[in-house]
Amino acid sequence: MARAATPEMILVFRGTHQVLSAEKQLRKGGVPMRLIPVPRHLTSECGLAIRIPLAERDRAREILSASRLSPLSAHLSLGDGGYDLTPF
Amino acid sequence: MAEAVSAAIRRAGNPGRSGHVLSIRSARDLFSARERLARLFGCEDSSRFVFTGNATEALNQAVKGVLRPGDHVVATSVEHNSVMRPLRRMEEGGVRVTIVPAGPDGVVDARDMVAAFRKGTRMVVMVHASNVSGALQPVGAVAAAARRQGILTLVDAAQTAGSVPIDIPSLSVDLLAAPGHKGLLGPQGTGFLYVREGVPIIPLTEGGTGSRSESDRQPEFFPDALESGTPNSVGIAGLSVSLAWILRKGVESIRRKEVALVSELLDGISGIHGVRFFGPPDPSARVSPVSFVVEGMDPSEVGWRLEKGAGILVRAGLHCSPNGHRTLGTFPTGTVRVSPGPFTTRKEVARFLTALRKIRNLPS
Repeated sequence: MARAATPEMILVFRGTHQVLSAEKQLRKGGVPMRLIPVPRHLTSECGLAIRIPLAERDRAREILSASRLSPLSAHLSLGDGGYDLTPF
Repeated sequence: MAEAVSAAIRRAGNPGRSGHVLSIRSARDLFSARERLARLFGCEDSSRFVFTGNATEALNQAVKGVLRPGDHVVATSVEHNSVMRPLRRMEEGGVRVTIVPAGPDGVVDARDMVAAFRKGTRMVVMVHASNVSGALQPVGAVAAAARRQGILTLVDAAQTAGSVPIDIPSLSVDLLAAPGHKGLLGPQGTGFLYVREGVPIIPLTEGGTGSRSESDRQPEFFPDALESGTPNSVGIAGLSVSLAWILRKGVESIRRKEVALVSELLDGISGIHGVRFFGPPDPSARVSPVSFVVEGMDPSEVGWRLEKGAGILVRAGLHCSPNGHRTLGTFPTGTVRVSPGPFTTRKEVARFLTALRKIRNLPS
C-alpha cells in the first residue's frame, strides 16, 4: 500500500489527560504535531490522538519517555486512509 | 472567574468524550486547572489531582477508598464532620478510630498524635487548620513520623489551600483534599483530591471516563481511575482562572495580607469588653477564620445584628465540627465566625470592629 505524501504517525494514549500532557511536552520540544480525534479503526477510544510527521519519531520518543508519557500504541498512516501498527 | 464560568456554560462541550472542538476546549480547561493545581502544590505529575464536587467528596473518597476493616486510623479532635462522619461510618464496618484531643487553643500536639500510632495504624487524618478555631495543626511533623512508620497521611486543607503555602512533596503527605470555592477562589461545586502515586485506593464512583471504552472495568490510571461521569467542567473552567490569579499573586503574598488583617481583627476584638475570640492569639499560628462570642448574646443574634446594622455577613452557630466546639468549650451554642480574605480591606476590618462595639453598646 502507498504511504501518505508526508509520512505521518498517529500516537494513541491511555486517556485525555495523557494526550494533553503529551501535546504540551511535544510542543515544548518543538515537535510539529496535531491533536486529532482517534480514528475509529484504531481503537474503540472516544477521545483524542496525536499526529506527528514520521520523521519526528525519534525526537518525540525521547521527549515522551523523559516525561513518562509513552503512548499505548503508534500507527503509520497509509495513503488510503488505513493504518499500520508500528513500534514507537 | 465568573466570566470563565459563563463562557464555558455558553460554549458547552463534554471533556474527554469526543474529538470535536468543543470537547477538546473543555478538556483543555480541565487540563490547565490540573496543571495549575500541581504547580500550586509543588507536584510534577498533575494526573494525581482528581477533581471532585467539593472537599467533602474528596475526603469521603480518601477515607472510604483506602481504609479497610481491621485498619486503625488516628485523627484530631478538631476534624470537620466531612472527616468525622465518614470515619464513624467506617468504624461501624470494623475500622478502629482513635481521636487525639487538641489543647484549649485548638492545637493538637504532634507528640500526642504520634503516640497514638500503633500496630495496624493505616492512616492519620489531620485538618491543616481548624475551621472553628483557625488553629494551624502540626501536619508536617506528624506526616513525617507517619511516613517513617509506613502510615499514610490524609490532610484536609479546606481552610489552607490557596491561603497558606503548601508544598505537598516536602510535607510527606499522601492524600490531600480541598474545596475549590474557599481559598482557591473558584466556584462552588469544585474540589479536588491529591493522591500520591503508589497509594492504593478504590474508587467510590465508577463509570464512563471516555477512556478504555472497550472494557467494562474501571481504568486504573489517573485521573480517570477516580473521575467517572461528566465532570463539572464549567466550574473547573472558573477554578482554572482563579488558580492562575493565585499563582500570579503568590500564596505567600496572600498569606502575608491575611495574617496582617487577622492581626488587626484580633487586636480589635481583644479591646472590646465582653467579646472573646478563640484559637491561637498569634496570627502566624492560625488562618483567617476567627471565631468569637459576645458575652450574654446568642451567636445567631450577633450575626443578625451584624447583617442588619452594618451589612456584614458572618456564619453563626456550630460550624459542622461538634468536636472542635467541644474542644474550645463552645458546644452547643457555637460561635460567630468572621473570615478576612485576599480581597478584604483594612477599612472593612475597621468597619466590622465598629459594628461589634455598637453591639456591645460601646462608643465606636
